[in-house]
Amino acid sequence: MLIDRYEPEDFFDEMFADKATVRPHYGRIAERLQILDQAEHRRKQTAVDLAFMRSGVTFTVYNDDQGTERIFPFDLVPRVIPDSEWRRIEKGLIQRITALNLFLHDIYHDQKILKDRVIPPHYILGAKHFRREFMGFNVPKDIYIHICGTDLIRDRDGNYLVLEDNLRCPSGASYMLENRAALKRAFPDLYRSARVQPVDTYAAELRKVLQYVSPPSLGTSQPNVVLMTPGVFNSAYFEHAFLARQMGIPIVEGRDLVVRDARVYMRTTSGLVPVDVIYRRIDDDFLDPTVFRPDSLLGVPGLVHAYRSGNVSLANSIGTGVADDKVVYYFVPKMIKYYLGEEPILPNVGTFLASEPEDRVFIMENLGKLVVKSANEAGGYGMLMGPWATKEEIESFREQIRANPRNFIAQHPISLSRHPTWCGEGFEGRHVDLRPYILCGEKTTVTPGGLTRVALRKGSLVVNSSQGGGSKDTWVLYGDS
Amino acid sequence: MTPRNEASAAPADESVWSEPLLLGISHLTRYSYEGPVHDSFNEARLQPVSDHLQECREFRFRIDPDSVIRDYPDLYSNCVHYFDVQNPHESLTVEAVSLVRTLPDSRGPVPQAGPEALTEAAVKEHHFDFLHGTEFVSLGADVWREAVDALPEGLRDVWTDTVAIGEHIHRNYKYTPLSTNVNTRAVEVIQRKQGVCQDFAHLMLGLCRTHGIPARYVSGYFLNQHKLPGEIEASHAWIEVFIPGFGWKGYDPTHRREPDTRYVKIAVGRDYGDIRPVGGTFRGKGTREMVVEVSVKRME
Amino acid sequence: MSDFHTPVPTAQKPITDRRDSQVMLSRVANSLYWMSRYIERSENVARLLDVNLQLMLDFADLNDQQLKEHWLPILCSAGDEETFFRLYERADSESVTEFLTFREENPNSIISCLFTARENARQVRDQISLEMFEALNECYLFLKSKNAREVWQSGAHEFYEQIKKYSHLFQGITASTFTRSEGYEFMNIGKFLERADKTTRILDIKYHILLPSIADVGGAVDAAQWQAILRSASALEAYRRFHVEDILPKKVAEFLIFSTTFPRSIRACMQRLDEDLHRLSGKERREYRSPEERAFGKLLSDLNFLTIDEILNSGLHQFLQGVQTVLDRLDDHIYQEYMYHPPVDMQAEILLHQQQMQQQQ
Repeated sequence: MLIDRYEPEDFFDEMFADKATVRPHYGRIAERLQILDQAEHRRKQTAVDLAFMRSGVTFTVYNDDQGTERIFPFDLVPRVIPDSEWRRIEKGLIQRITALNLFLHDIYHDQKILKDRVIPPHYILGAKHFRREFMGFNVPKDIYIHICGTDLIRDRDGNYLVLEDNLRCPSGASYMLENRAALKRAFPDLYRSARVQPVDTYAAELRKVLQYVSPPSLGTSQPNVVLMTPGVFNSAYFEHAFLARQMGIPIVEGRDLVVRDARVYMRTTSGLVPVDVIYRRIDDDFLDPTVFRPDSLLGVPGLVHAYRSGNVSLANSIGTGVADDKVVYYFVPKMIKYYLGEEPILPNVGTFLASEPEDRVFIMENLGKLVVKSANEAGGYGMLMGPWATKEEIESFREQIRANPRNFIAQHPISLSRHPTWCGEGFEGRHVDLRPYILCGEKTTVTPGGLTRVALRKGSLVVNSSQGGGSKDTWVLYGDS
Repeated sequence: MTPRNEASAAPADESVWSEPLLLGISHLTRYSYEGPVHDSFNEARLQPVSDHLQECREFRFRIDPDSVIRDYPDLYSNCVHYFDVQNPHESLTVEAVSLVRTLPDSRGPVPQAGPEALTEAAVKEHHFDFLHGTEFVSLGADVWREAVDALPEGLRDVWTDTVAIGEHIHRNYKYTPLSTNVNTRAVEVIQRKQGVCQDFAHLMLGLCRTHGIPARYVSGYFLNQHKLPGEIEASHAWIEVFIPGFGWKGYDPTHRREPDTRYVKIAVGRDYGDIRPVGGTFRGKGTREMVVEVSVKRME
Repeated sequence: MSDFHTPVPTAQKPITDRRDSQVMLSRVANSLYWMSRYIERSENVARLLDVNLQLMLDFADLNDQQLKEHWLPILCSAGDEETFFRLYERADSESVTEFLTFREENPNSIISCLFTARENARQVRDQISLEMFEALNECYLFLKSKNAREVWQSGAHEFYEQIKKYSHLFQGITASTFTRSEGYEFMNIGKFLERADKTTRILDIKYHILLPSIADVGGAVDAAQWQAILRSASALEAYRRFHVEDILPKKVAEFLIFSTTFPRSIRACMQRLDEDLHRLSGKERREYRSPEERAFGKLLSDLNFLTIDEILNSGLHQFLQGVQTVLDRLDDHIYQEYMYHPPVDMQAEILLHQQQMQQQQ
């Protein structure tokens, strides 16, 4: 009923091939939506929101001194990916992260990729998050990125493109798990009949990865693993607590840890207990005031000494941020060819580097048509959406680019695929992206599903939770319909 | 403002030492605190390098209170020792003793190298770190103006012009102990027209880099047989520039000369921040006093 | 989120090579302890206010002075007199109950207690059951809503009933969803310490009003007041089952101090504390290893031999204060033993210093 009035318009729609044709993998959902009326939708939505609020599935928004807790708006209609499509995504992501891990090892050791002129060295050596202090340092099992959340989008033809790699402390996995739980409660019969691949293996897989990278020198088969959080005031604290709980490991803050003789310990009621692996949800800069930012009160003095001595593992490793740089992103397809000799399965969004003279001329001439991003910002900040920007915004970016071209890239705006989303009274199309989670340990795995973020404002392309985004459950089917 | 002809970094000691020397160095640093401090984590860069100009024959490193000392090589191959002192202590002593054989430079004459040799991409990118602004050496307008004053005609030959830049500094800046501190930036040195070796090295890095010459900070010691009034024996700093077709070559703007066999190199980096001889953090009240005793002696 | 502790440097804690997942962070123990303590405190304040508001209904025409005499001791026992008089001019039913219920400036108001409890719960979100957090969060959302004040204004009794219910709900959920572990003991210790302490204070309030001197013990007292004491400790029915006769001050005091069966008596709380303390330290019963534990053990054993007459003769007030001191010291000891690791508050206590030197030749 409600879905009959849905208008896919001139976009790639996840659910509808055209106004009259539902894509086969959405068949069951379309049937269910046929019999969904406003009252039922409202009932289910209220129940889900209440459950999120009550169980504290919230993030904190800071407008003044007092943080306000909000739920990440959840849309009841799941995003569905057929099995064959997912396999390709999975293959592409594994290929990408394999290359990125090889790249990180290379630039912190021999720098072959620089010597072979595949990437101009100044892009790496001048990268904000390049940690020259860790040149030549060997991380356990040579794995730099243990946890990665890669943002994918689809263009007008439905092709999946990589928008960015989040290699420092990617967040959102808890929403993937909580969204699934909520959807199972809201539509149990539909879920059962649709044959959806489970996501709840994520926590167990993550724990396995963390145990696997325990420092070999410690020779323990039962490493003590902890999750390190900046604290309850961090906007993602819910996620930290949630994941720690799912994995059955302690959640610690900097003040719970202490370093003695280059070993990390946690302060417990029975004294100091050694820590072997730290899943840290805190950026490099704040890890250790001795080495990085002396003003940081979040970190643990001496942690880097312990790390350097090989007595504790960090996930992700120190220095992965260099590969997170949007300028370095530009080179990932080249890395895949260089290290693996393969063609990239998932292409990048076409990107221009402001520090390359030819590209810069093009960018400057087309600022009003391009999306400009600064190299090291996340969460939708430091971004210019040319076609929607005011003259002042454009000029301000022009100045910034001129002053520091290394810090900017530009991309053609991708219109992003749309998905039927509840908008108060009925379904309307809203833009979505997809963040699957990749774990690298003994083997590399991608949890089937991920976090689908949806830009709730009409026409908006910004899906970040801090800027009016919501989320959906993401179903990867066992079959193709 | 100081009249230009009166300012002088140090009296010119025209003698050049070209004989190999055996030098014994003792470098002791003692921190005394206002009260008990604890959780002290430190890194030290005090071990002389071994290369074609010097051979570090012995090195002993000691701290008091005693603790385990570990080391690692950093990006520029400097040897970094690190240690921590957990228990409450009221003073910390760090002592490095080394025996170093220094040698004259046997590489022969420095070849000519114009700006085109430097712009060659390979040189630029290989030495990216030493061509850009850093925390201590920002490449802003002040530094640029000073660089133009030092080399009005622009860069023509790397080594000749390096010497010219060094002489410019020596001529216009006054060596004044205690006029600056450990955190003084190159820009402030330009404003004050005075400083100590660390400041002159930073300034020279800024001027060289502005002209496109890869230049790096060198931390070390120097056998000083003619002390200036008020000058204490301490660690020394100078710079090295990269000359295409030759390699790295040192220049000491404080004394207006090339380092010779009296010089012992400990570490290199982009600026002082990369080579802090002793650096770290601790918890507790502040430092009451810091005593540094350095002695460099001929051993034969 | 702890109460008022001034950290005193102690010896470094020993290093143990525990490799089980059951370790408990000191910070977590601290949070669980205070979460539980503050919930218990909110319940006690709610009951105290509820009972006294109802009591006031029986004394319709009190003048300012009399009102003040009634409310001031309650204020002293449950809140902070100084803060109160910064905010209000008069101590009457309205101002005192508002202060002890809604004012966030008062760290011991019901709202502050429950906010603090919830904040502590948030700090250890991953350590407690989902249901526990939900219950506490619901209570928090209720107090934050406009609804809370409306309920209070339209009938304070209903409001305080609601607060008590949240506390009971929380305790019930805790008992049925929380793993019996170290954490459970810390929560129990927090709860029983608070409860024992509050019972001493409830008794002490009436000591101020009704027993200006020992000679007056057994004198003419208002049954309503003593009944109110029992109800403040939720003890009226239990007392009636126990003592068929009238409500006698001495019997009330005896009941609230010595009863082994009533769960809010000082002795009963201390017995529970004793069990949890031993479970925590892993020591044999009757083995006490620190001066604070020994003082506690001695007091518990005294309660087996003392009579109410002896207590009244040597001074009820003094006795109650003695109990409070023992409990305070025990609280301190638990903190030092299990929760404190120097330094606690990096921002306030500790300055990080950099050591460096100039190259200056």
